Amino acid sequence: MAAYRARIKEFHDVLNEDQINLKRLKSMCFNGIPDEPGSVRALCWKLILNYLPLSPSKFLSFLEKQRKLYSSFIQEMIVNPGKQHFGKSGKIDVTFEDHPLNPNPDSQWVAYFKDNDVLVQIDKDVRRLCPDIGFFQRATEFPCQDVVNAAEMETLRKRVDCSVLQSHTVMKNRQGAYNWKSSKKSTVEYDLLPDGKEAHWEVVERILFIYAKLNPGLAYVQGMNEIIGPIYYIFASDSEREWSEHAECDAFFCFTNLMSEIRDNFIKSLDDSAHGIGNMMMQLMNRLQLHDPDVGSLMVTQDLKPQYFSFRWLTLLLSQEFPMPDVIRVWDSLFADSKRFDFLIDVCLAMLLLIRDDLLKNDFSSNMKLLQRYPVFDIHLVLSEAVRLQKS
Amino acid sequence: MLVLVLGDLHVPHRCNSMPAKFKTLLVPGKIQHILCTGNLCTKESYDYLKTLASDVHVVRGDFDENLNYPEQKVVTVGQFRIGLCHGHQVVPWGDTESLSLIQRQLDVDILISGQTHKFEAFEHEGKFYINPGSATGAYNALDSEIVPSFVLMDIQASTVVTYVYQLLGDEVKVERIEYKK
Repeated sequence: MAAYRARIKEFHDVLNEDQINLKRLKSMCFNGIPDEPGSVRALCWKLILNYLPLSPSKFLSFLEKQRKLYSSFIQEMIVNPGKQHFGKSGKIDVTFEDHPLNPNPDSQWVAYFKDNDVLVQIDKDVRRLCPDIGFFQRATEFPCQDVVNAAEMETLRKRVDCSVLQSHTVMKNRQGAYNWKSSKKSTVEYDLLPDGKEAHWEVVERILFIYAKLNPGLAYVQGMNEIIGPIYYIFASDSEREWSEHAECDAFFCFTNLMSEIRDNFIKSLDDSAHGIGNMMMQLMNRLQLHDPDVGSLMVTQDLKPQYFSFRWLTLLLSQEFPMPDVIRVWDSLFADSKRFDFLIDVCLAMLLLIRDDLLKNDFSSNMKLLQRYPVFDIHLVLSEAVRLQKS
Repeated sequence: MLVLVLGDLHVPHRCNSMPAKFKTLLVPGKIQHILCTGNLCTKESYDYLKTLASDVHVVRGDFDENLNYPEQKVVTVGQFRIGLCHGHQVVPWGDTESLSLIQRQLDVDILISGQTHKFEAFEHEGKFYINPGSATGAYNALDSEIVPSFVLMDIQASTVVTYVYQLLGDEVKVERIEYKK
C-alpha cells in the first residue's frame, strides 16, 4: 500500500511541476497509471496524446479556446435546414428557396440528407458501444445544452430514427361506441431517454459525427467508435467536475490527435503502404518467425493469415480483445510508448507467444476461434511479456 | 422528422400514376414516415409508398380494395397526436365544423383528412387541419379540375412546419406553413 501511495504521489509531483517533463511522465505512464479516484489518468492521457500544453499554468486559457472552438464546430457542422423562416406564421412561398425535396445541390436539405447517410452508420455502431458496461446507456450529467434545449434543433439520434410510429386504430361499432386498438408496439432495442436528456452514447455519436464532417476524406469508418469509447469513458468519469463537464470537447480533440497517428489504418487504399496496416501485420509475422519459428511456420502451414485476427488487434488497438479495465491499462502503455504503436506489435506478439502451446496443439478451426476470441489472461502477464520482447 | 402526407391517388381508375415531377422529388431515404388518407385503391400504390419509407399508415377511403385498413387512426409523433381519417364519412365533405367534431372525438392536435381533392391547411380553435389533396390530381365527384398536391411535415419538438407541394401547370410550387402547439 505504501508503495502504491508513493506511486500516486510521484504522479502528482510530476503533474504539478511548472513545466511537465513529458519524457518522465511517459515512462511512468508506460508502467500503468494508478486507478486512483481522481483525474490522474484522464490528465495523463490528455498530456501524452499531445492535447494539453505542458505547463499547467496555460491549461485554463488553452482549454477555454478549445472549448469555444468545439462549440462552434457543433454550431456549424450540424446543419439545420429550413430555419430561415422559423417563427413566421402564414403561407410563405418557398418554391425558389429551400424545401425538403429540393434537388438543387446547394440546398441545405441536400447536405442534411447527405450527412444522414454517415449518421446512420455511426448511429448503428454507437448504440451498441461497449455493451458489457452500462455506462454508455446512462444519461450524461452534462448534456450539450445547445442541442438538447434548442426547440428548432433535432438531436442526432432522432434524425436517423427509423422506428415505427406509435399508433392506435379507431373502430366504431354499430351502436356507435368507439373502440381503440393500439397497434403492436414498435420493437425498440434500447430504451430511449426522454427529451432533454442525453445518453453517453449520444455524446459519442456527436463526436464521431463532427469528426466525420471535419474529415470528409476519411469520414466515418466502423471501428472508430471502439477507439473513442474508452477515451470518452475515462474523461467523462473524471471525478472533478470542471474536467468531466467538458469531457465531450476534450475527448474530441484527443481522439483527433490519436486518429492523426492511426488514421492510415482506416483508409483502405493505404493498407499496403509503409504505415498501413499491411505493413504492421507483416512486421508482426516477421517477428513471430524470429522469436518462435515453430509458431511462425504453423501460421504458414495452417494458413492462419494475420488478416484473420491481427487486423482487428492492430487497427482497434486491442480494444476488442480485453474487457474495458484491461483495455485501459493496455492503452496506458500504448499511448506512453515513445515510438508510438511500436509497442502495440510487441503486445500482439506477446499475446501469440502466451498461447503458443495451445496453438501448436490445435487444428485450423480451433486456432481461429482461439485467436478471434482471445482467452482471458492476467493483463499484466501479457504486458510484462511484451516488455521483455521489446527489450530483446 | 419528415412525415409525408398524401392520399386520394385513385390509381388506376381515375389516373394512371403520380405526376412524373412528383415522382422525381420523392426518393427513398429522406422520409421517415408516411400518413396516407386512403383511396390508394390498389395494393400496387401501397407498395409504391412502402418503397419511400418503411413506416406507412393508411386509413380506408371509399374506393380502397383493401378492407382491412382502419376507418380512423391516431398516430403519435413526438409531442403531437395526429388523427387520420379519409373524410368521406364527414358530411358535408371537408366542412370545418364537422371535421372539428372528429378532432374532438379523437382528441388530436392535428387532423388529417382527404376526400375533397383540394389542398387545405389551416388552424381552427387552436388545432391544425390538413388536407393533402390528391397526389395524382384525380377528379372528384364534383370537380374535374384538380391540382395535384401532397404535403410534407417537418416535425420538431413543439413545431410542425408543413410544406405543400402543388403541381401548377408544369411547375412544382412549394409553400410552407408553420403550426405551433
